This record gives sequence, structure tokens and C-alpha cells, in this order.
Amino acid sequence: MTEEKRPTLEEVKALIGKKKEETLQIDKSMIRLFCQCIGDTNPKWQNAAPPGLVTTAMISGGALAIEVPRLYKRSVAAGADWEFHKPIKPGDAITTTHEFAEIQDRSSEKGPRVLLIYKSTHRDQKGDVVAVSTNSIMSY
Amino acid sequence: MAQLYYEDVQEGSEIPTLEKLPTTRTLVMWAGASGDFFELHYDKDFANSMGFPKVLVHGRLEAAFLTQMLTDWIGDRGELRKLTVQYRGNAFPGDTLLCKGKVTKKYVEGGESLVECEIWVENPAGQRITPGSAVVALPTKGS
Repeated sequence: MTEEKRPTLEEVKALIGKKKEETLQIDKSMIRLFCQCIGDTNPKWQNAAPPGLVTTAMISGGALAIEVPRLYKRSVAAGADWEFHKPIKPGDAITTTHEFAEIQDRSSEKGPRVLLIYKSTHRDQKGDVVAVSTNSIMSY
Repeated sequence: MAQLYYEDVQEGSEIPTLEKLPTTRTLVMWAGASGDFFELHYDKDFANSMGFPKVLVHGRLEAAFLTQMLTDWIGDRGELRKLTVQYRGNAFPGDTLLCKGKVTKKYVEGGESLVECEIWVENPAGQRITPGSAVVALPTKGS
């Protein structure tokens, strides 16, 4: 098997500030699938999206959207932070601006590792901020 | 679902535990429902190649479980304002996961009655694999 070509740390640092915008139409079937998956039967979610919907990669997965190449072999989610400003409803069009915000060198005697930090701002069709997300990925 | 009021909680109050049993099927559903198709969560060979014995439960799925624990607790008039998690350990399909939490602080700010909580997901060994914190806004009695 051919080894995947890895970028250098400098090449990845050069991508800091890279942004991507995407719009997602929220519909009831999307909310229903989300609720069925996690087992949330609260009837409130028949007419509103649970805040947890913002935790999904399709909304706050900045790492997936921006496609920063993997520096090292292993890559796992390290943590996340979500601020919920306004409930999302079926019919909303959520436009998210993802940004590759920061890279932190966390190398130790165990080997090289970096923390990649992504920030995403989510707005509805009126331009109101509905949520702000920060997600970090550890690559080692 | 019962409504929780600001007056009902005190520092140290426990959030009712939410138990979840994610299976491989749940992970496949989550991949489709959430748009996360990273092979680490459904391809055992890929997981092995990354040094993991099995596929892993998505950290974001654990975060979603925690949001449900909080929205179940705060009732229809409560609002989840903030959630922070750190993915410190791994969960595997078939693990019974316990979502837990307790109140660490309550205060009024900007006319809102806010409650801060320590939250976490516990694995079958009792380890807090996904610790974090949350802020919720609650209605007051008579409001």
C-alpha cells in the first residue's frame, strides 16, 4: 500500500484563516432522523430543531468542510464548544462560515502532535446568528 | 414533560441521568443523520489501522446525548445556551453510556436566570470519558 503523502506543518499553518461558507436547508425529516438516532422522543422537536442538531458535522463540522490535509496518521476529535443564540426551526436556511482558526503544537516525548481549531458561525436566512461553534481535532 | 424552574435548582442539584446504549447501527444512523462519514466510526479495519481495537462512538454523538439530557431536564421553557465538551476517552458500540451532570452555579445576569452545570458521559468502567460544562436559562415561578 502506498503511504499517503503528508503535508508539512508549515504547509498546514499557511492554511490558517482559510474559510468556507455553506448553506443547509433545515427540514422536518432531517430533525426526525436526528431525533430517531439519539432516541429523543420529545414532542417539542416536531416543530423546532433540538439544539443538539447544531452538534452535527453537517452544521458545525468545520474540519470536514475546510478539508485541511491530515498532518499525521491519527486524527480524532478533541473537544467542542457550542453557543446557542436562537432556536432553529424547520424551513430555516442555515448559512455557516467555517474558519480554520488556529493550530497549536502539542508535541511531547511521545511524538509530534498538533491541535487544529476550527470556528464556525451559523446564521439563519434573516442574518441572525443562531449559534457559534468551536471544534478541535487532535492529529498525532 | 415537567417544567423546571430557576427556584427548583441549587448548587449541587443533580441532573437526572440519561442512559444510552449506542450500537453499530446507531453509529451508521448517526453518520447519515449528521453527515459525518469518517471511517473510524464504521470501518473496523480502518479503526485498527489507526490503532483502535474497534470502531469508536462519535464524540459528537455523545455531545448530542448530553444536549438531550439537558433539554429533557430543563423542560419546554428552558433554553440551552452553551455546551462545552472534551473528548478524553473512547466509547465503543455496545457500551452503556450514562449522561450525568450537576449544578455548579446559579445567577441572574441581564435579566436572565442562568444555571451552570458540570456535565459528563460515563463509560461502563465509571470513567468520565466526555466531561464538559453547560449553561441553561430557566424560567422563574410566576414568570
